[in-house]
Amino acid sequence: MSRYEEDLWIITRDNLVALMEVFIKTREVIAPVRGHGEEVIFYPIESIEDVAWDWQYVNAVLPPKRFFLPQTEVMFEYRYDNGYKITPRYDDRVRMIFGIRPCDVNALVFLDRFFGGGSLSKKSPDEEPLFPDSHYIKRRANTFIIAFGCHQPGENCFCVCCDGGPFLEEDYDLQLTSMNGDYAVEVGSARGLKIIYGNEHFFHMASSDEVKELERIKEDALNKFGDTCAYVSKAIRRVTEAKVDDSLWEKLAERCLDCGGCSYVCPTCCCYNIVDIPLSEKSGIRTRTWDSCAFAGFTRIAGGEILRSDKKDRLKRRFFHKLSYQYIEKNKRHGCVGCGRCITTCLGDINMPSVVEAIRKQKVTVQAAATLRHEEEI
Amino acid sequence: MKDVYFPDIAVIDNIRNETGDVKTFTMRFKDPDIQENLTYRSGQFFEVSIFGIGEMPISITTSPSHKGFFELSVKNVGLVSGVLHGLPSGSEVGIRGPFGNGFPYEEVFGKDLLFVGGGIGLAPLRSLINNVLDNRDNFGRVIILYGSRTPGDLVFRDEFKAWEDQPDVSTLVTVDRGDEKWVGNVGVVTTLFPKAGIESKNAVAFVCGPPVMIPFVIKDLLKLGFKEDTIISTLERHMKCGAGKCGHCCIGHKYVCVDGPVFSYREMKAMME
Ligand SMILES: Cc1cc2nc3c(=O)[nH]c(=O)nc-3n(C[C@H](O)[C@H](O)[C@H](O)COP(=O)(O)OP(=O)(O)OC[C@H]3O[C@@H](n4cnc5c(N)ncnc54)[C@H](O)[C@@H]3O)c2cc1C
Ligand code: SF4
Ligand code: SF4
Ligand code: FES
Repeated sequence: MSRYEEDLWIITRDNLVALMEVFIKTREVIAPVRGHGEEVIFYPIESIEDVAWDWQYVNAVLPPKRFFLPQTEVMFEYRYDNGYKITPRYDDRVRMIFGIRPCDVNALVFLDRFFGGGSLSKKSPDEEPLFPDSHYIKRRANTFIIAFGCHQPGENCFCVCCDGGPFLEEDYDLQLTSMNGDYAVEVGSARGLKIIYGNEHFFHMASSDEVKELERIKEDALNKFGDTCAYVSKAIRRVTEAKVDDSLWEKLAERCLDCGGCSYVCPTCCCYNIVDIPLSEKSGIRTRTWDSCAFAGFTRIAGGEILRSDKKDRLKRRFFHKLSYQYIEKNKRHGCVGCGRCITTCLGDINMPSVVEAIRKQKVTVQAAATLRHEEEI
Repeated sequence: MKDVYFPDIAVIDNIRNETGDVKTFTMRFKDPDIQENLTYRSGQFFEVSIFGIGEMPISITTSPSHKGFFELSVKNVGLVSGVLHGLPSGSEVGIRGPFGNGFPYEEVFGKDLLFVGGGIGLAPLRSLINNVLDNRDNFGRVIILYGSRTPGDLVFRDEFKAWEDQPDVSTLVTVDRGDEKWVGNVGVVTTLFPKAGIESKNAVAFVCGPPVMIPFVIKDLLKLGFKEDTIISTLERHMKCGAGKCGHCCIGHKYVCVDGPVFSYREMKAMME
């Protein structure tokens, strides 16, 4: 166990409701709420009544990424009045995200490193991070994380094989796990501990039996994954060594609709476009919006040439970015946390487990073997 | 923390027509402190904003040895470049950067240098050429080979003479198609190679130009004995952020905006994709 503080705390459901009522009054609280039908989405809540509790959902259909990297956000305003004046726009609301699942927290940690500038090549380890993204960083720093451990995986979940869950060991503020009608509370950060000490009357220290019970729940959860496994390591190696024959991407490309859904629902996908929107003749805003490497226009250069015009090259790109060791080295982990959302979304059945399986099962063909020999000759 | 997306304002002080569709803009940051503290390497680029229209990456064509202003040579090819071409002197634009790695400079002290440019590709090379010539003693022989489609497409024509006048510098120019007045070389840039007396032994080659030109030049340079890592070129990709974030410029695992745009031929070959 690598908690910020070893002590385990317990909070009853009533106390948790009371504590959340306090938070709702003092900051924006984002929580899973019921959308249409069974689906659950993250949304700012006004009352604890709106919350979908952990036993009512496995995970939200969309990741909470948009609260850190909104689908469209204003970066600055410009105004012309005898010269240009630019006013940056930052979102520094104090927020709390309640009920976020471990896979999504791990995706945020991935984005923290990326937007923090820690993923870019540095000449020495103690060099300052390159080009930190103030807009992302401000939102992230102001958001307190209350995660819910997953004792019941969903049918598409494979976080166990992606270092994504089902429980967090680091990088959270508080982690709650349902236990005998109450919640076990693990503390993952100094500000998490501050919440406990500041509201001590809501919590009590767990007994040694309760500590053991939490361990049992965690073990039990792992067992529930059964056969769900993506076996990514072989795919990582083959993608890294360029041993995947193009015919695989060609076959997948026949089923890809270019919709970009896979990127939009993925908690670690974060490519964006930058677009100016004039609001009057002399003023306007610069915005950034989500983009996707699945779109042909993503690599269009002057003169109209599209560098990745072939759909198979775009799919290859997406999975190279997610899986190759070249990117693992930059990001310190592969780009999938096993949330399973691409499984639910893609109409063409192109998702992380299915692609990994296809790569794993593909015979290393004559063609691929030939390139290999060629490389050895050099 | 400096916001990497926040442009500083620069003023266009002068505009020069290079060709029918290329203009060179002399600019300076409106805030004198920013202009004063501007440092960059040849081969680096700015993200140039026309507010309300958008941004585009443009190489800094001035040598870092020239202070107090900077120049951008821009070909009119589309939206942002088109609007920039329509702006009068005194207009304001947004500038972010400098971005990118830039050309090796200190690393090639003592070497003979071969520059091979095509079309607007001479813009980034010009920064390096002028920096080399301003510090002439640090380098060996300098050969500049430049080609464009027609005589009317040659950029920086006024400067060829000044380059040629420096000790141990040869500048050879060619066009794909001449006109009535053209008495110089005709043919693609590689046809200049035999005339230039190139010695590859202690030399580094810098190649910038349209994508169709690069493979031919590299092929001939290899034949002349240049090694894969003594051939230096630049890659053009769609760019939005310049800061390794938006994902548009990636090739394989390289962010062209941060790890490039300058790469050796060896590095380019190793890029998987
Ligand atoms: C590192 C680098 C240095 C460059 N240096 C120069 C230079 O010194 N002089 C010069 O004339 N050109 C240069 N270019 C090419 C120049 O960036 C494009 O011609 C310019 O972006 C075209 O923009 P546009 O809006 O006029 O064209 P459009 O085709 O209308 O572009 C539409 C959009 O695509 C975006 N875009 C981003 N990157 C590119 C790209 N590489 N090509 C085309 N569109 C892009 C633009 O921001 C624009 O918003 C350079 C490109 C790169 C990558
Ligand atoms: S892989 Fe699937 S989700 Fe992604 S763009 Fe193609 S069809 Fe859409
Ligand atoms: S690739 Fe698919 S399973 Fe993996 S994190 Fe993205 S959406 Fe979730
Ligand atoms: S231009 Fe955005 S990542 Fe390179």
